[in-house]
Amino acid sequence: MTDDTASAQAMTDEWYPVGLISQLDKTGRQTALMGEPIVVAHDADGQALVTGHNGRRLPVKLRYGHVWSSLGTPKKDIFAIPEADQPGRRFVDVGVVRVRCSPLRAVENFLDIAHFPFVHTDVLGAEPHTEVLNYTAEIRPDVDEVWATEVKFYQPQASKSASGGITTEYMYRVPAPTCSVLYKTCPPRPTEWDVITLFVQPLAEDLCDVWPWMALFDDETAMTDLIHFQQMIFLQDRSILENQVPRLLPLDPGMEIPTRADLTSIAYRRWLKRHNYTYGAQLVAR
Amino acid sequence: MVMVQDKTDEIQQRMTILGELDIASFLPWIHRHAAKLGLGQTVAHADDARIELDLRGPEALIDMMEIGCLLGPIDVWVETIARAPCNAQFPNAKTTV
Ligand SMILES: [Fe+2]
Repeated sequence: MTDDTASAQAMTDEWYPVGLISQLDKTGRQTALMGEPIVVAHDADGQALVTGHNGRRLPVKLRYGHVWSSLGTPKKDIFAIPEADQPGRRFVDVGVVRVRCSPLRAVENFLDIAHFPFVHTDVLGAEPHTEVLNYTAEIRPDVDEVWATEVKFYQPQASKSASGGITTEYMYRVPAPTCSVLYKTCPPRPTEWDVITLFVQPLAEDLCDVWPWMALFDDETAMTDLIHFQQMIFLQDRSILENQVPRLLPLDPGMEIPTRADLTSIAYRRWLKRHNYTYGAQLVAR
Repeated sequence: MVMVQDKTDEIQQRMTILGELDIASFLPWIHRHAAKLGLGQTVAHADDARIELDLRGPEALIDMMEIGCLLGPIDVWVETIARAPCNAQFPNAKTTV
């Protein structure tokens, strides 16, 4: 389970976000993917182009507002988000937040609701409503994804469009090692879910660019306000993430005492372990 | 009014762990984690596919034991964990909390 080459290869062959489609230009964005310097640009014909070390051409796909690439040979397409094709939704490219933490830590933090009242105080959570009610978290074998459902939490201001406190219901999905999709109660349309994603670009094992993206039913709020609201949330997370010890995500919980409130994190880490997705992980507790 | 936690809060449960278990690394790990939680513990059976672990302590802490074991050490894959009441003898059961 811990063979080094197998483990390196497993994550190398995945797709990662490397920039916004809307920001592609001829000069290119100088960035990195898992330690390798890359350039994300478009060519003379306007085609997206990702170039790795020594000018080698890397695979490219355009999806969900972002340019995706891989250092290896992806065996699967980028995961599907059916809501991205649903009419009436607004798609929001939030932009990038650089965080000095493991890409896996960034995803784990996104999956954790227990921090809401303490980190996003009076926005996504508030005291005394700090209790995490029981929910379900599992690795779904049919789709090979992590899913957490029936996650309920009291939120003073669940979204930019929310006008007062509501109990919000969440579903979380992890379809790729550094990507998560959050489905959240949609106040204007009770039968639909708002979609907020976290696409994480692993720059190094302890450094990442976080690219949130949203597909919302919200015709009222100005685009800049939607972006600012989400950026504020992620900047609050950044200060927590950059202070976590150890930097890498432990796949052995031996130094912690996880509880049932951490069930999504446990399911995520079991899934990472099962697939040898260990770039950014710490294998032995210390 | 002061809430006093005493032995009446304690329950006994048998935890059945199934998976690809490397017991050479998992059993010491289990021992440490249960000790950290202050649980009484007796291993009733252990092979590389199944561990039967008898635990005694407050239910909330036994629950944390289950959550920790679900992930376990890196060379262990836990498929499922089941819990059931049991009447095991605990030679080293804690008498104070
Ligand atoms: Fe957060």
